[in-house]
Amino acid sequence: MNLPENTPPAVPFTSQPITPQSTPPIEHLPDGYDSAAPVTGKVRLEAAWGSTEGDEDLTVSDTPAPISDGQIFKQQYKQWNGELNPRWMRNWAILRHHLLGVFKKGHRPWGMPIRLYLLVVFIASLSDVGMTLLSGLIGDSGLHSIWGVSRDNLYGHVLGFFPRNMLYYPVVAALLVGGVISEDRQHGTSALYFSRPITRFDYVGMKFLSVAIIQALIILVTLALYYFAEIATMGRGWAWIIDTFPMFLATVLSALLLIFTYTSIGLSLSSVSKGKFFPGIALLSIVLGTKVLAFIVSNLFDREILYLISPYDCLAHVGQAIIGTQPTYDQYSWTWSLASIVAMNAIALYVLSTRVSSMEVTRE
Amino acid sequence: MATKPDTIYRAFDRKASAIVEFTLRQYRTKTSTWVVLGVGFTALALIFLIYIDVMGSEFESIDNDGDSTDYDNDGYPKGQEIRLGTDPWDSESHPGLFDTPIEPEPASMYINEDDFDWDITSKLGTQTTGIDDDGDCLNSNKTSSQKDTNNNGIPCDIIVEYFKSSDGNVYTFVSADSGVDEDPDEDAYSREAIHLAFVLSIGKLGFVLLLGIFLPLFMATGLIRDEMTSGTMHFMLAKPIARSEVFLYRTLGYLGIVWPYVIVLGILGALISGFVGSGDAFFRFADLGVWMAIIFATMMATLVYGMLFNALGVLWKYGIILAIPFAAWELGMALLSMGAPDAFLLRFSVIGWALMIVDSAAMLVWPNIDLFILMGNWGGGGDGGWSFDSSLEGSAPLDFFSSKPGLGLSPFLGAIIATLVLLFQAIIFWFIGGALFKGKEIQ
Amino acid sequence: MIPDFDQQGRAQTKEWVPEVTAPAILLENVSKSYGRIFALSNITLALNGGVTGVLGMNGAGKSTLFNLLMGKLKPSQGSIKLFGTDPWKNPAPYARVGFVPEHENMYDWMTGHGFVSTFARLNGLTRDEASIEANRVLEFVGLTDVAHKKIGQYSKGMRQRAKIAHALVNDPDLIILDEPLQGCDPLARTTIMNVIRELGRMGRTVLVSSHILQEIERITEQIVILHQGRLLALGNLHSIRERLDKIPHRISIQSDNPKQLAKDVIDIDEVFGISFPDGKNLSIQTHNLGAIHSQLPRIIVDNNHKVSTIDNPDDDLASILGYLTSGGGI
Repeated sequence: MNLPENTPPAVPFTSQPITPQSTPPIEHLPDGYDSAAPVTGKVRLEAAWGSTEGDEDLTVSDTPAPISDGQIFKQQYKQWNGELNPRWMRNWAILRHHLLGVFKKGHRPWGMPIRLYLLVVFIASLSDVGMTLLSGLIGDSGLHSIWGVSRDNLYGHVLGFFPRNMLYYPVVAALLVGGVISEDRQHGTSALYFSRPITRFDYVGMKFLSVAIIQALIILVTLALYYFAEIATMGRGWAWIIDTFPMFLATVLSALLLIFTYTSIGLSLSSVSKGKFFPGIALLSIVLGTKVLAFIVSNLFDREILYLISPYDCLAHVGQAIIGTQPTYDQYSWTWSLASIVAMNAIALYVLSTRVSSMEVTRE
Repeated sequence: MATKPDTIYRAFDRKASAIVEFTLRQYRTKTSTWVVLGVGFTALALIFLIYIDVMGSEFESIDNDGDSTDYDNDGYPKGQEIRLGTDPWDSESHPGLFDTPIEPEPASMYINEDDFDWDITSKLGTQTTGIDDDGDCLNSNKTSSQKDTNNNGIPCDIIVEYFKSSDGNVYTFVSADSGVDEDPDEDAYSREAIHLAFVLSIGKLGFVLLLGIFLPLFMATGLIRDEMTSGTMHFMLAKPIARSEVFLYRTLGYLGIVWPYVIVLGILGALISGFVGSGDAFFRFADLGVWMAIIFATMMATLVYGMLFNALGVLWKYGIILAIPFAAWELGMALLSMGAPDAFLLRFSVIGWALMIVDSAAMLVWPNIDLFILMGNWGGGGDGGWSFDSSLEGSAPLDFFSSKPGLGLSPFLGAIIATLVLLFQAIIFWFIGGALFKGKEIQ
Repeated sequence: MIPDFDQQGRAQTKEWVPEVTAPAILLENVSKSYGRIFALSNITLALNGGVTGVLGMNGAGKSTLFNLLMGKLKPSQGSIKLFGTDPWKNPAPYARVGFVPEHENMYDWMTGHGFVSTFARLNGLTRDEASIEANRVLEFVGLTDVAHKKIGQYSKGMRQRAKIAHALVNDPDLIILDEPLQGCDPLARTTIMNVIRELGRMGRTVLVSSHILQEIERITEQIVILHQGRLLALGNLHSIRERLDKIPHRISIQSDNPKQLAKDVIDIDEVFGISFPDGKNLSIQTHNLGAIHSQLPRIIVDNNHKVSTIDNPDDDLASILGYLTSGGGI
């Protein structure tokens, strides 16, 4: 009685009610209904579904196929002759998607709390800029000697332990890497990338770059602002700039190293996990946990060797060496720390590349 | 059938054990659980290896008072010459020129020849202690005023004074007569001090702080939240069970995996440090008290943080963002408690109370630990006119890692109060988490 | 976000006595809004006994209704009672309720038996009782052979049946199934439908949601139609259709000789229009579907017509919804 509108006309054999006892052989099929056939509409229902009640007879699987001339189309694949945009343009689209998501809607949704935290860290990172401007305004040389540009302050802007390298930058990195790859794995959205002319290297490279750029926007921009605030408020001349520029560049270099290291470790963690929480917490516990362990050992046994497994301390050691501040690690040369950073990055990038290249384009 | 009144035990036996067991089995299937537990084990194992290495190596024995040196090249070490009354600075004056010549003694006899023997307890006021084991004060031919350089009327003793200054802090003052306890055994002292400092630091930072915060961060934040996001919470909430019960039992399931882990690691730590640690005894049984406190404090910390992080996960999809600054705050509080165990801020942390349990146990088991630190810092009388820093290796870290339980309570009372406060915190977080969960609409 | 401290949910500290006279489901003026969007508005509904299909397009508020019933959402207005108790405040009525959620995610690492028995224990069964009960319901839904396989290895239909088993394990009086047929192959559909029909025959109150009318009408004729959060219709599917007298029903008959058939059919009083959409089809318009259906077979048989199909093309959900919404509803 109730059937969808656009049912195709029933083929003859299905109009016969199929009962469990007798499966009508194909040759016995009537051409249509005879006058005795019940006309209730139920017939159609039974025909379509097999029976009125339990549909037990669906086990009758030898229902004959529709009698109709089949046709097999010859399969022929044609080369697509359209013009593919250059590779950088496609990559730029991925990068842009991630980057602009921080600022506005319609791109990758980073999540309000993450964006809020980025803003808070950005503003908090400007504390030394603010103090420099203030000291310039009120002309307090004591304040300026504490907050003005110096080797120690440049080092501290990027690598100072508390609060920057404990509460700000590792947390920023942890929040950013949280879902970058793991969400694609979890939701199967990597298919959206890999069904397009994008290589896996492009995919992971652009994700890496976008996370790194967001961190750079916070760390390097505030660092540059700090440097320029000093020039502007103290009226520094070329001589000062020539004097201090190498150390500024060294700070930029150590900041880049920090960003690269945190990003590669974080993304490799993101590529091995499905959850959103795990990569973030794991990155944080790697950075802060190894720091605490090394701190215990160095404090207790006077052995600094464990600092070599702590990304934070290796970065700080290299930073101290190239910026030229007083080294706080004196049991081994800074080249060991550099080698350790290179090794950490190599392991992380290896994990990342194998995981991404073997990533299944499916919802895992 | 479920409408039958149940005794509390029977209700617990059914629902609670079902959810706890379910949670445990769920953890078992997650790779991240094993990674986290494995990494925690590896990190602690690394420190224990370094500890074993340090304990196995010899601490250099230093001649703190310089009396093993033969300054005048007459073949007699300075200590022997002083004891026998010849001039250590004059090569023409030595015991070999006596009527019955005395053979020079080996210089090693004058290294670590006068060890600590303080038999006082740390309390306010002035006390006198110390025995001149080698006799370079008592038996020397010094005048009686030379034998009493600290002017307290007792020859060859040490004045130890604890006094309260006007700012309320307790300071110490040590003044020894020249030649008393002046050359302690570094190896014995440092081995003991580093052992104590190791137990305290691994207990406080390694167990209570790192395990106590990171295990809950990894494992408790998603207890409810993960189920809510994946939609599987519907199965559990379709049963006649209150949500705060689900919250509690899930947390119990988490504790079911974290607590045995902490206990096993703690027992391993106790065994290693008990066998490897300093001392003549085969096994340091006394330390077990401290280790039990460490295990207990870590269990309490994982309980409170577990409830808290679970509640944060319920509160917000991004609960981890709230948990991370909190973890950083707790890290800061842990470091603060090392320096200022009485700080008021600590009362607003979890870790402050948990560390108080460890500190209290340390006070009970090692009642003279601050006297021991004082000895090491004094180290044979650096303030008695010797020109080198006399504090012994190990006393500074021990000083840093040990602290008195706050609130000025007796250790026993302090531990009990800290436990009660932690339990109270756990219950509060359970109520908050349960209330949040009850008020949560689940799609 | 603000916790609701009114809730009284507690672990079985005192006996929960269901109101004897209370219907299984009672909704009074229930609305649920998200901000300014009403997911459900002003629903009043009482159900007790039998299988009821909840019909509605996607987003009509079916899942919202079920989540309200299961105490997952708090009604913005109105009151909900399951066996006389507000489910948001007290989970006790779930002792008599089984729920099959819509979500696809399950605990893939559990076996079917483990899944059902673990959750049976949340109903207050001991481990042994739960195991026996789990075996019983797994047999009822036909999963006995795979009961000890991981759910992750189950097919879609088996997963749905495992969910149903989990809902049935406490022998509930009220069973709520949210889209139980979604994504199943015909065989699984048939099995699940049989299970649901069987439950109805056992006198349980069953609530099944779907957006496909054909699915529901194979299970039951008692329906609730939701559209854009409003209750559009309630009752027997065909009576609903017949009560829409203002709009004529169409009956489409495919016959070898539609013209001749039309001549015979025109004698029925209730027929007020006939048309021929094409050479083989006859379309009859009427206000009284039942009368036509009672007379039509006799006419066809008496006049020896060859009829291959008889259709009521307007009885599907879309056209009913179309009538109800444009025609002013009931």
